[in-house]
Amino acid sequence: MIYRKRGHVVRWENGTLLRVTESGAAREEGALFECWPERRAGFSPPLPWEGDGLKPVLRFHTERLIVTRGYAEHEYGDNRWTEETHRFHASLVHHHLRALVDREEDFEPIASALQRAESEREAPNHLRLAPNVTAAVLPFLKQARQTAGGVDGYGNPVTETSASFYRPSYRLRPVHMPFNLGIEHGVTAIDEDLPRAVALLAPAGGLTLRVLIEDRQAVYPATISVTKIEAVARERVWYPYGAGSFGAEMML
Amino acid sequence: MTRFAHAVREELWSHGRRVESRLSHGEAVEEPDGSITATDVRDDALVTRAERQLERLRAAMPHDAIVRLVAEAGTEGDTATMTVRIGPLSIVTTPEYLEADLALLRTAGVPPAERAASRRPLVWQNGTAAILLHEAHAHPLEHNHQPLQLPEWLHVEVPLTRRRETFRDVPLVRMQHVRVTQTNAPFALPKEHIEVHMVDGGAYEPLTQTITIRVSASSIGAFTLVEPRANILFLGARGDARRYPGVICSREGQELVVGSYAPTLIMDFRR
Repeated sequence: MIYRKRGHVVRWENGTLLRVTESGAAREEGALFECWPERRAGFSPPLPWEGDGLKPVLRFHTERLIVTRGYAEHEYGDNRWTEETHRFHASLVHHHLRALVDREEDFEPIASALQRAESEREAPNHLRLAPNVTAAVLPFLKQARQTAGGVDGYGNPVTETSASFYRPSYRLRPVHMPFNLGIEHGVTAIDEDLPRAVALLAPAGGLTLRVLIEDRQAVYPATISVTKIEAVARERVWYPYGAGSFGAEMML
Repeated sequence: MTRFAHAVREELWSHGRRVESRLSHGEAVEEPDGSITATDVRDDALVTRAERQLERLRAAMPHDAIVRLVAEAGTEGDTATMTVRIGPLSIVTTPEYLEADLALLRTAGVPPAERAASRRPLVWQNGTAAILLHEAHAHPLEHNHQPLQLPEWLHVEVPLTRRRETFRDVPLVRMQHVRVTQTNAPFALPKEHIEVHMVDGGAYEPLTQTITIRVSASSIGAFTLVEPRANILFLGARGDARRYPGVICSREGQELVVGSYAPTLIMDFRR
């Protein structure tokens, strides 16, 4: 069976605006994965760029700023679906610290905290993790579970128990991966007085994280280990990590 | 308006069995306002040229390894590269250099488990010093950082130009190649030293100006060197620049082949 995708993306990348239109197909036969471009008629022109929303962000110096808007139509057998994507990625620099931002709404709070950062400190024994930090660590937590909703790379519904396959591009072989990870905990009340890890200072590679901690007026970098989880709030925010990850305020 | 167009044929082979096959083509046009419009338009002549290069790679590739073949034909020229992996070691080569590069790969052996790098002087062999200078000198130039302070007998040629991996990418100022040469350099091997034979990868952290180099084969096995570039001391060099078969440079997610050449080089650390 052949998978087909066509779409367009408008990407603002460090000051350059790029519009990409393409369509292609992929096939898996036994162990062989093949893909190729495939022009098809009847596709609308690229999305207009609404760059005005970037103005508040552009007031800050960013090491990297990539904003993407995309639209795609997918087809696999009888399954047909469409997808709209909005992605935001920035890295902000202050002295030797780099803070990562993957949601536009997080930009100003993180930029503000980073500018107040002091020198390295020991991580506190008890702290809160902001949803953006939690979302990045979920792929490494065995308690994290797939959340139902949407379809996978073959157009099959994602349920809480389905085996789902992630296909971010027609040029990549789909890989088995949980979608929209989330975590629940019997305790949902969060102590708002605890210091809070507000940003990642390096990509998450496991349960040990480099983070920026805000503790009332003090802001400092520290290394934390996500071990004993004491509470997870109910409110969740989606982040584009892997095949999606729902961050929630977490208490350690 | 500038136009970039290319066609790429790529295949992945595992021990003589083809497991992935890709065709990609398109063009990017730089508009008068500086924006870029990219589409996957097909240029038959470029596709034919890429196919021809792929056939040449296929005819030469070894059948007892994992091999990635990448053949590209474009407005900036044609390239054909082959990445060959045997166990944990790999090389990036072309049909012309395959025999010699494979010999290096096969004789490097399987390294023992990674160990912490000693701070003994390092003797960079087989052209691996090009990777050291790639991270410590060439990447900083891309970031507009100060060039590394080099002794007068050591020369590094790093042409910078706007390059991109695909028509979907924004071109960045990137190095084309790193050619390290020496003229009348001293060469006295320290009694205690580590010989570097092969390198698996590296990185430059612009915030701290620290380099990371993953050595995959050396006289003490595999290890990772993490060092501020200001701590690098060049003690000596010997011989002509030798081509190192193993550099695909990734920056901002764009992977590009970087030609790499260096003589044997002795390096120590400021203490």
